[in-house]
Amino acid sequence: MTYKIPMGPYHPALEEPYKLDMICEGETVIDAKLHIGFNFRGIEHLAESRNYIQVIALMERVCGICSNIHTLTLCQAMEQLTNQTPPPRAQYIRVVVAELERLHSHVLWAGIAAKLMGFKTMFMTCFEIREKVMDVLQAISGNRVNYSMNRIGGVNRDIDDPLAVLAMIEQLEREMVRTVIPIFTTSTTARSRCAGIGVLTNQRAISCGTVGPTARASGLPQDLRRAAPYAAYSEMEFEVPVQHDGDVRARLLVRALEIMESCKILRQALTKMPSGDINTGDAKIVFSTGTATSRVEAPRGEVMYSVSWKENSRNPSRVHVRTPTFANMPAIRWMVMGARLADTPLIQASIDPCYSCTDR
Amino acid sequence: MNAVAIIPEQNLLQAIPEKLGISERWVEKGGVHWLASDTLHVRDLAAVMNKCHARFITITAYQMPGDQGLRLEYHWDVNGNVLGFSFQLAANSIESIYDLCEAVDWIEREIHEGFAIDFTGREYEPLLLRQGDTPGVNLRETGTPNKTATGLSAQEEVKK
Repeated sequence: MTYKIPMGPYHPALEEPYKLDMICEGETVIDAKLHIGFNFRGIEHLAESRNYIQVIALMERVCGICSNIHTLTLCQAMEQLTNQTPPPRAQYIRVVVAELERLHSHVLWAGIAAKLMGFKTMFMTCFEIREKVMDVLQAISGNRVNYSMNRIGGVNRDIDDPLAVLAMIEQLEREMVRTVIPIFTTSTTARSRCAGIGVLTNQRAISCGTVGPTARASGLPQDLRRAAPYAAYSEMEFEVPVQHDGDVRARLLVRALEIMESCKILRQALTKMPSGDINTGDAKIVFSTGTATSRVEAPRGEVMYSVSWKENSRNPSRVHVRTPTFANMPAIRWMVMGARLADTPLIQASIDPCYSCTDR
Repeated sequence: MNAVAIIPEQNLLQAIPEKLGISERWVEKGGVHWLASDTLHVRDLAAVMNKCHARFITITAYQMPGDQGLRLEYHWDVNGNVLGFSFQLAANSIESIYDLCEAVDWIEREIHEGFAIDFTGREYEPLLLRQGDTPGVNLRETGTPNKTATGLSAQEEVKK
């Protein structure tokens, strides 16, 4: 006999509002439907009533975790429309902040995954590590969530002493190598909760158009930092971690390895940071009529902005945001099919979903 | 080992118009390779994109000024390049490519709910953005605002 279990939109196993209607046979999920939009905010529409300064502050609020990525993508699109090129130092600062944001997002996710596995000690360890990353972001930007770093033509704040950040990077790497990665890869608890669970096959990952760590854990080696470099990524050496099992463990491993690669990128960006201006100055900004598209590799995957402007207008005529969770979330249906009901909270969390982005 | 076959970029960009049977050339603008043609059919396009192992990114809907109607821009990624294809809509509808490209499901539904564009040949499940209400009110300026219990729209009540 089949029966339906609705999980959400408000449920202890889900951190944010969305709904998973699961069709079960006994304890096994045989199909699922996802529903989103419970906190839809109409930000794209709001953007049409904001000028080119206000719209940056607005789009920073699309996501509460990767706020910097949204302003970076938006500013890159607006720089195409205003024909501005940020100075080299600004490009490096953009890389530093983007990678710090990736670190804090991935470590936050590791903590939440540990909590969902019933591994509370690991949750506390991850959040302690994340706190150190956030301290650095606060030292650089003065803020812990919305950093207000990006502007058209560069960044708003300099990093006065880039080498001072290196100490945190080394400490983070040490903690990852000594504690987090070994425990996640060797502990029986982590293995039994993650290995072979929530499998997304390579073919399904392709057909769903998945992005970011979710795609890379299913064998797709796609990363915009490598395929279409922006900011100063073309000057950085790093690997793109790829796993082929497509299960929760593979997604966990990809993110753990990406933390190490982020540390590698940060070390390069901080030591090689060129001197000079951090933006193009306060000259009047003039938009040309047209549409510009920009993409950035956010912690959860590709973010794309399409921005349209009309000459002499202060406001954009259209801002369209494609967030990574919007692309990855439909794949949850295929991940939970055949899974045990008790594993579904961890499976849906394994794509690192952001409902704030999805309900933009 | 890469799961997706990497096709040399130059060959691919040449091959796509040929496969689509059109003579127009790519124009690079605003970070996108655009291929504009009046004879382009969205389902033919989706089939060719599948053959090229292109990854679907998104569809962007635009409401044009005045009575110029609606325009859709489809985006795919090939080897890190964004390919763009624009379609001016007649009668606010266009054929769905959901059966050819699973990844378009949610964005077709969102555009249907936000702009009242009908993607023909598919069924919709609500994303709950406008559940139980008229599609197109969210983002289309021509949408009729909901009436509140007083018989006024929310905007009229705020003004009052």
